[in-house]
Amino acid sequence: MRIALGIRAQLLLVLTVFLVLPWLGYEYVRELERFLRDAQERTLAGTAQAIATALHDRPRLFATPPDPIATFARDRADEKGDGSALPPSASPEIAQIVQGLSRTSARIWVIDRDGVVLARAGSLKPPIEAESPPRSALARAWDSVQRATLRPIYSMILDQPTEEFSDEAAAQGPPRGRDVEGALAGILTTDRRTTSDGKAVIVSAAHPIWLGDDVKGAVVVEETTNRVLAERNRAFERLFNIVVAVLLVGSVALTLFASRLSGRIRRLRDDAEAAIDAQGRIRGALASSNAGDEIGDLSRSFANVLARLTEYARYQEQMAGRLSHELRTPVAVVRSSLDNLRAQPMPEDARVYIERAQGGLDRLNAILTRMAEAARLEHALTDTERERFDLGAVVSACVDGYRVAYPQAPITLVLPDTPVHVSGAPDLVAQMLDKLVANAVEFRTDGEITITLGHDDGTAVLSVANEGPLLPTAMTGRLFESMVSVRERTGGETPHLGLGLYIVRQIVAFHGGSVAAHNRDDNKGVTVIVRVPVAP
Amino acid sequence: MSRRIAIVEDEPALRENVADALRRHGYEVVTFASRPEALAALRTRLPDLALIDIGLGDDVDGGFALCRELRAMSARLPIIFLSARDSDFDIVAGLRLGADDYLTKDTSLPHLAARISALFRRSDLIDSPPASEDVMTRGPLTLDGKRLTAEWNGKRVDLTLTEFWMVHALARFPGHVKDRDSLMRDARIVVDDSTITSHIKRIRRKFQAIDPAFDRIASVYGMGYRWSAEDPA
Repeated sequence: MRIALGIRAQLLLVLTVFLVLPWLGYEYVRELERFLRDAQERTLAGTAQAIATALHDRPRLFATPPDPIATFARDRADEKGDGSALPPSASPEIAQIVQGLSRTSARIWVIDRDGVVLARAGSLKPPIEAESPPRSALARAWDSVQRATLRPIYSMILDQPTEEFSDEAAAQGPPRGRDVEGALAGILTTDRRTTSDGKAVIVSAAHPIWLGDDVKGAVVVEETTNRVLAERNRAFERLFNIVVAVLLVGSVALTLFASRLSGRIRRLRDDAEAAIDAQGRIRGALASSNAGDEIGDLSRSFANVLARLTEYARYQEQMAGRLSHELRTPVAVVRSSLDNLRAQPMPEDARVYIERAQGGLDRLNAILTRMAEAARLEHALTDTERERFDLGAVVSACVDGYRVAYPQAPITLVLPDTPVHVSGAPDLVAQMLDKLVANAVEFRTDGEITITLGHDDGTAVLSVANEGPLLPTAMTGRLFESMVSVRERTGGETPHLGLGLYIVRQIVAFHGGSVAAHNRDDNKGVTVIVRVPVAP
Repeated sequence: MSRRIAIVEDEPALRENVADALRRHGYEVVTFASRPEALAALRTRLPDLALIDIGLGDDVDGGFALCRELRAMSARLPIIFLSARDSDFDIVAGLRLGADDYLTKDTSLPHLAARISALFRRSDLIDSPPASEDVMTRGPLTLDGKRLTAEWNGKRVDLTLTEFWMVHALARFPGHVKDRDSLMRDARIVVDDSTITSHIKRIRRKFQAIDPAFDRIASVYGMGYRWSAEDPA
C-alpha cells in the first residue's frame, strides 16, 4: 500500500531533526549554570579564607569586653541586617574587620568554637536597583512582547529567582551544617541549603580561624544563588529567543521552498498528462522550462521525449501516404507494360496471363488508392471551408444510399424530431459515415445495423451499431490509429487495412468532436459513437 | 506531318512504355529525363503537346517550373501533367499554371491516347466556329462536344479535359443523380472518392470565378452529384 506523503510533509518530518537544537541550548545553559555555581562557591570560599586570614593568630580578638565601638557596630549591623538583634557576645573588632571585607549580597558570620556568633555583616538580599528603562521604542515593544509570550513559557522550564524569601533557620546564627562542622574541624568546606520556605537556595563556605594549631572559630560566608539563577535565565532567554527565531524562519523558508518545488513538480505532471489525450494520441508539445536545476532537466527531457514520440507517430501515420506514393510509379510501369503487351500480336493462351496480371494490378492499385486517401484527407482538411448544416439531413440522405448499396444488411435509422445543426463539411461527414457503415456491414454477422442520431446537452451524438464479433478490450484505444486492424474478417477479398477508422478519426477531429468504439451493452456486437459539438 | 509529343519523365521504364504506345498511335515522340535536358531541346523547337511528370528525380516540383517556362514560350501549347501524388493537383490548380489536364500515373495507355487526341482536336478547332450539332445548351451553360470547350453566360470557362467530361456527364441529364463510379467512367479516370470531390470543388470554383452565384452542381450526400435543372431562385 502506498502512503501518500507530499514533499512538504516529508520535509517537515526531516526538519524535526532540528528540534535537537533547543535541547542542545538547554544543556548548554545548564553547563553555564554549573560553571557559575562553581565560580560562586569558589568566590565564597575565597572570601571566607580572606576574612579568616585576617583573623588568624589574633588571640586578642577573641576576648569579649563590650565597648562603645561595639554598640556602634551593632547599630550599623542592625540597619543592614534582617532586624534580628545582635548577640551580646559580638566582638567589635572582629566586626570592624569583617565590615571591610563584606560584599553586597553576602552575609558573613564569625563564630567561635562553640558556635557562638562573634560578628555578623552583610545581608543576603541585595539593595533594589532601579531597572534601567529600555532605550528605544522597539526595545520597549520587544520587552512587552517577551513579557507577554515568552517569559511565561520559560518560567515553566526554569526556576525564577526571588528575593521574597525568609531564612528562618539562620535567625540566630549559621545553621550547623556540613560547612560549619567541617570548618570547626579545620577544613574549608562549602555547602548549600534551601531556605525553610523553599524559595531560595543558600550557598555557604566556612573557613577555620587558626590560633597556632588550634581552631578558635570559623568564618561562614553565605550567599543566595539568585544572581546565578538570574544570569542563567538571562542567558537562556537570549539563546532561546534566537533559537526559536531561527527555527521559525528556517521552517517557513524551507516550507516555502518545498511548496515551490512541489508546485513545480505538480505543474510538470499536469503538463505531461495534458500532452496526451485519452486515446494515447499526442495532443501537443510540452513547454520546457529554462530552470537550471534537476526539475528543469526533467521538464526538458520530457519535452524532448514527447517531441521524438510525436515525430515517430507522425512518421507512422504518414507511412500509408508515403508508401502509396512510392508504389505508384512501379505500378504505372507494370500497367503501361501490360498495355503495350496487349497491343502486340500474341498467342491466345498467352493472353490469359496478361489478364491475370492486370487483375492483380487493379487490386494493388485499389489498395494504393485507399492508402492515399488517408494522406489526401489530411491535406484536404487544411483548406476545407466550414458551413452550418443539418446533420440529420445528411445522415438521412446517406442512409438512403446505403440501403441501395447494401441490400443484404437491413438498416434502422433513428432521427430526432428537430434538426441538429453542426459546423463543418457535409461531404466529409458523408465520407466518415461511409466508412463507419462499410465497417459495420463488413463485420456484421446477423441482425440489423442501427444508426442513431441524438442530442445530448450541446453535443450531437451519432452512433452506428452492428451485431457481430466483439472488440478485444485491450485494443479499444488503438482502433483509430493508422493501419491498426483488430477484428477477424468474415471473409471477402478486400484486406482490412485499418485505414477506414483512421479517416473517421481525422474527420471527427476536424469537426471538434470525439469518437469511441465500445462493445454493445447486450454484448451482441460493437457500437461506434461519434460526438460533435452542436453549432448554435 | 505527324504531331510531335514531348515526354518528360524520370522513370525510364515508364517513359519508354508511354513513348512506345504513342508512337504506335502514329505520333512522333521525343523523351527527356530531366528539366534541364527538356528545356535545352524544347527551346530550339517546341513540341505539339507536352506530357510532364511533376516529380522529376531530386527536383520535386520540377514539373511546375517546366510548365511555367513552356507556357511562357507558348500560350496555346497543350500540356498534360502526370503525377504519383493526387494532392499535387490541388497545388496545380492553385498555381493556375494553365495545364490542360492532370492525370495520375494510374491512367491506362489507351485512355491516355484518347485524351491526347481529344486535346489535339480541341486545340485545332479552337479558332474555327462551333458546329451547332455538337453544342449542348443547358440554360446559361454551353458545352461544345467537338471543341471541348465550355461557356457560362457567354463567357469561356477554362476547364481541363477531365473537368469538361465531368460537367458534360452531369449536365447531359439535369436533375439526375450521377454517382461517383459513373462520373469516373465518363471522365475516363480511375481515382478515389476524395479526388472526385476535389475535381468537383475545382469545377465549382472555376464557374464561381465567372459567376459568384453559381450553384448548379449539387452534392447529394451518399449518392453523388447532380446538375440542378433550373435556377433555384
